[in-house]
Amino acid sequence: MTAAAITLTDVTKRFGSHVALDSVSLAVPAGTAAVVLGPSGCGKTTMLRIIAGLEVPDSGQVALDGATVSAAGRVDVLPHRRKLGFVFQDLALWPHLTIRQHLDFVLGSMALSRLERDRRAQDALALVRIEVLAGRLPHQLSGGEQQRVALARAIVREPRVLLLDEPFSSLDAELRADLRSELARLQRALSLTMVYVTHDREDATALADCVIEMRAGRILAVHRHPTRGHDPA
Amino acid sequence: MDIWRGQHSRTAVIGLAFVAFVVCCVLPAAYLLATTLGAARSAYAVVALDSRQQGLLFTTALLGLGTAALATAIGTPLGIVLARVPLRRKGVVRVLAGAPVLLPPYIVALAWVNLGWDRPSEWTYSLPAAIVILSLVLYPLSMLATEVAMRRIDGRLEEAGLIVAPPGRVLRRITLPLVAPSVIAAALVIFVLAVSEFGVPGLLRVRVYTTEVFTAFAAFYDFSRAIALSVPLLVLCVAVAAVAAALLGDRLVTTRRSLALSPVVFHTWRRPALASVVLVVAIAVALPMLILVREALGARSLASATGAVDAIVNSLLLSAVGATVIVAVAVCLGYAQARASHGVRHATQALLVVLFAVPSTIIGVGLIGLWNRPGPFGGLYGTDAMLLLAYLARFVPVATLILAATTQTVSVSQEEASAVSGVGWLRTVRGIVLPQLRVGVAAAWVVAFVLAFGELGASILVAPPGEATLPIRIYTIIANTPSSNVAVLALLQSAVIFGPVAAFGAVASMRESR
Repeated sequence: MTAAAITLTDVTKRFGSHVALDSVSLAVPAGTAAVVLGPSGCGKTTMLRIIAGLEVPDSGQVALDGATVSAAGRVDVLPHRRKLGFVFQDLALWPHLTIRQHLDFVLGSMALSRLERDRRAQDALALVRIEVLAGRLPHQLSGGEQQRVALARAIVREPRVLLLDEPFSSLDAELRADLRSELARLQRALSLTMVYVTHDREDATALADCVIEMRAGRILAVHRHPTRGHDPA
Repeated sequence: MDIWRGQHSRTAVIGLAFVAFVVCCVLPAAYLLATTLGAARSAYAVVALDSRQQGLLFTTALLGLGTAALATAIGTPLGIVLARVPLRRKGVVRVLAGAPVLLPPYIVALAWVNLGWDRPSEWTYSLPAAIVILSLVLYPLSMLATEVAMRRIDGRLEEAGLIVAPPGRVLRRITLPLVAPSVIAAALVIFVLAVSEFGVPGLLRVRVYTTEVFTAFAAFYDFSRAIALSVPLLVLCVAVAAVAAALLGDRLVTTRRSLALSPVVFHTWRRPALASVVLVVAIAVALPMLILVREALGARSLASATGAVDAIVNSLLLSAVGATVIVAVAVCLGYAQARASHGVRHATQALLVVLFAVPSTIIGVGLIGLWNRPGPFGGLYGTDAMLLLAYLARFVPVATLILAATTQTVSVSQEEASAVSGVGWLRTVRGIVLPQLRVGVAAAWVVAFVLAFGELGASILVAPPGEATLPIRIYTIIANTPSSNVAVLALLQSAVIFGPVAAFGAVASMRESR
């Protein structure tokens, strides 16, 4: 059995009186593409943000590769030390930085030689096929191109885990299908552990090794995808 | 589409407010400029060729630049703290940290002069001292501008950075570049207010344009020299304020917030953040007040206070009436600005910022030139109405900016719903819009009252003989009255100013604890 890359144990998160996550436990094996499916407000995004360290759980604990990164009311490992990539729903591209500067900013936090930084940036741009856009600002790109930039930013530092929060929700069906297959290719090529949040069943069918169904802050069921591999417990 | 086209009530109300605005705020500065164009060349020869004036320009510029730099260095980090670090009772913290801007700068200067030394040192009456004092009073402008700008940034932009970089780097590379235009604009406004300031350089004997204008008029009765000295200052202030307004764009009158996330990682900065706020408030507010209390305890009697009762009552009455009229005009103008087209809104906002930047002594000189004349218009000169006109000229622009921002939070569709239901403009404004502006109106009134209560630069020029407000009284007795007696009056003035501020703080605290 493959070791769990992400483990949530009895994680609860409240916002005021609203319970966003209610004693959620989950283990996602390394290299697995897990798709979290559920209606708006069911706690999908909150779960992703807790894994990333952008929210603190009220109770329970979160572990990455077996090491606890946050637990009730505390963050043990800051987000930037968790070796994650995150693609936000609204992409959150930095409006004042060119695409290349986006990647340089990410790589600037790592102890790398200039040569290695250049190589990684070029590789990331090539992987998502936007090499020619390196000098542009986000507002000079189309919606699909912006999605690719967000992906490049997430993978440029070669993370072990990739988290995606409904990244393609604002795109038309054709572009969405295109980027979905691109993402599936990337996930396999880089052997990424991926957690993909969506409310679209088509996304789940196309991408998932396993589908996690959520409702009202709880995990209802975990389905293994018939054509793909691993099964989260 | 203008849903209220053809509504005479709207035309009449806004038209009246506009006329009041032009007469009170625009005409004094316009009069000065017009007079300048037709003035005798000799007056300009004096100003232009006098080498002392070059020194004056240098000192004035240094005062402005030094204050803008230091106030920004203090205010920007505090703005970041208020926007991003989750402090308990943040409303109270904001009121406390913002309080110095409501304190008349000469009160802080008075405390500085009495700061512990038996004999004045070379620093007591100096340009650096004036810079430090003005920075301690004006840093809240930078703080509030930074906070507002940061709240407008989508918190996800920072979160996207925090996934890959430590908080300090995210702040430097992502957050600060995005708020830079607002920080720079605030620094420019601080520059303008510093070079416009009269009380602090006057008290610390620093020769700058405002003190020279005052001396030319009040000591030498040389009106044409006062006007000639006013023009370089007026041009400088107007130009810098125009750049600030252009940089700000619609940020001043828009209170729209994007995702006001406070990324969780900044929570770790809570203690140092709180310590820095406490330190700044202690130096800017508590220390001056303690010095004045210590000084006041040495007063042998409260004769100075009882002798100033007339001035205190006068100040309270005039400030209250002034604030009420200011808010009445500003409600109408703020509504008109908020509902104007994008271009008109930008232009009027720039005009309001520029008018707010006109130095107080220049407004005083302009008002004298405008109203000191024979005929029916001259009837106001020599009465308390001149003080009210000075308050209107100085503070209608800032009250209008506050109320335009508040009005924008009331969506136009609410008025449209009223209009299609057959309700007229006046009833719609009275029944739908105004009730939603209550907090903004109260805030504008308090700001106008506090500013009017501390106004010195214009008041001291236009006050009728024998009539004095509290600031005039304090400023004129400094030279020949024991410092303990002056301190008593300064404390009285501070108490009146901090009363409403404390009330606001209490309300904010109650709202937060709910």
